[in-house]
Amino acid sequence: MIEIGIEIEYLPYIITVLLIASIYAIFSLGLNLEWGFTGLVNFGHVAFLAIGAYTTVLLNLSGVPLILSVIAGVALAGLCGGLLGIPTLKLREDYLAIVTIGFAEIIRFFLLNEEWLTRGPMGVRVSSRPFEELIPGDYNFFLFPFVLGVLVICYLLLEKLVKSPWGRVLKSIREDEDVPASLGKNVFSYKIQALVLGSMIAGLAGSLLAFYLQYINPRNFMPIETFYAWIAVVLGGSGNNRGTILGAFILWAFFSGTRFAQGYLPFSPTQMGALRILFIGLLLILIMMFKPEGLLGKKEELTLTK
Amino acid sequence: MLQLFINGLVLGSILALAAIGLSMTYSILNFANFAHGDFLALGAYLTFVFSAILGVHFIPASAIAVVITAFIAVCCDYAIWKPMREKSAGSLTLIIISIGLALFLRNLIIFLWGPDIKHYDLPVKRGIELGSVVITQNQISVIMVAVICMFLVHYLLKRTTIGKAMRALSDNIDLAKASGIDVDWVIRYTWAIGMALAAVGGILYGLITNINPNMGWFMLLPMFAAVILGGIGSPYGAMVGGVVIGLAQELSTAILPTEYKQAVAFFILIVVLFIRPRGILGS
Repeated sequence: MIEIGIEIEYLPYIITVLLIASIYAIFSLGLNLEWGFTGLVNFGHVAFLAIGAYTTVLLNLSGVPLILSVIAGVALAGLCGGLLGIPTLKLREDYLAIVTIGFAEIIRFFLLNEEWLTRGPMGVRVSSRPFEELIPGDYNFFLFPFVLGVLVICYLLLEKLVKSPWGRVLKSIREDEDVPASLGKNVFSYKIQALVLGSMIAGLAGSLLAFYLQYINPRNFMPIETFYAWIAVVLGGSGNNRGTILGAFILWAFFSGTRFAQGYLPFSPTQMGALRILFIGLLLILIMMFKPEGLLGKKEELTLTK
Repeated sequence: MLQLFINGLVLGSILALAAIGLSMTYSILNFANFAHGDFLALGAYLTFVFSAILGVHFIPASAIAVVITAFIAVCCDYAIWKPMREKSAGSLTLIIISIGLALFLRNLIIFLWGPDIKHYDLPVKRGIELGSVVITQNQISVIMVAVICMFLVHYLLKRTTIGKAMRALSDNIDLAKASGIDVDWVIRYTWAIGMALAAVGGILYGLITNINPNMGWFMLLPMFAAVILGGIGSPYGAMVGGVVIGLAQELSTAILPTEYKQAVAFFILIVVLFIRPRGILGS
């Protein structure tokens, strides 16, 4: 009986961790479509998380119904992905990496400085959340299954897409652009589509993140968020959606697990935070050096060593 | 306006130094090293540790820091880059690894020395007034050191064997191998020199601004812009590119809010990539 009591005490915390992991899983699925399936090095993925979150929250604050705000957030994120892609997807792959990182930082500067729109560093409070009035008690007990449902739907839709002829073209672009191009496929158009769809998914994750945080400000959208998605994708296995979801959950299990270790180690919270990210950096290096196919990826599908 | 020009020249000198190493490793090793900025930070922090914490005089402290940073860069080559070269890793793999290295170094700095802003333990000196502009002694030092370093690089590249070998590798790596150059040694030298310059850049940046864990990351975009503007693989291009970007960033504050300085570098980068991707002096 006592054990059940203790578990119930930890339950809100566990729900919260699973909730955040699910949001990041959705975020990472978007990146997996861009990198894992199409081979696009997007280091600015967080920009679309921010666009989705801010658009949803700001529109809703101005009175736009929540569902429309979310749709607008997703749409705007996708549109920005397309706008970014049009001039840049024709660039060499490493140039794309540099440009996308610059883009994400500029979005963040915009959020910080255009206070008339975004309240700048003060941030915006989320005014309403889905079905909030109907939920008694802890809202997260509703939000988690809700987000999980969204995750499952995204996963199923993506799986259907990547197994379709469209998905196969993406993979062939990842392997060697010249082959689908020589077969008459408009490679550029496919890349744009992947980037737009990946950005839309990130935008959706952004709205959900806003619902969880209840208050967003530019500090929630630092470059490191993009690299959380990267570690989830790379760890799970690039090009494997189940792997990506697994990677996201392992990442958050790691984060929350180390929080418990905090009490036993002689380091300050700042040092623990740094240690966590240091470890993630190291993990990224080690995975790419020794097990680039990640946990669930297939070695044969690897084209990283050319 | 003239004040902005001077500030731009100072920033540009720092960028120029830092960009040389980035340009060389980009062309010889064929990947964009996203960890480059953190070597700048490493140089700055090590100098801080030796001078402010251990009490060594600033100049020898800087020298020690530069040597240690170069050494760490060579260790990274042994541990990471060389094994990946042997596996014929593509540039995307190396880029992702460099991101991991960047995260590792930056957070190692935070872990060891904390996230707060630091300054060197140097006496505050009065600036020199020339009419409407003020130029600080530190700014003068920065420009002088940068110019000296650039001359040293020029001498290295044009007059020494290793410099010629570096230029050969940068030009055509297969021909260089065929002509008997020991590629691995040259690569190690490239890392050592490139990162030593980056460390100097970081120290100088810490001198005129401050020392914080994100200082290198913050300079990464302008550095890439400088490298691409100047032409990947051209150290002289990197110098020119660095100065141009520095000037552009500072002069832009006359019409743009200062927070958008990085956007200026980004804009120049995009323009270069579309009009002349090989840059000013690139091949």
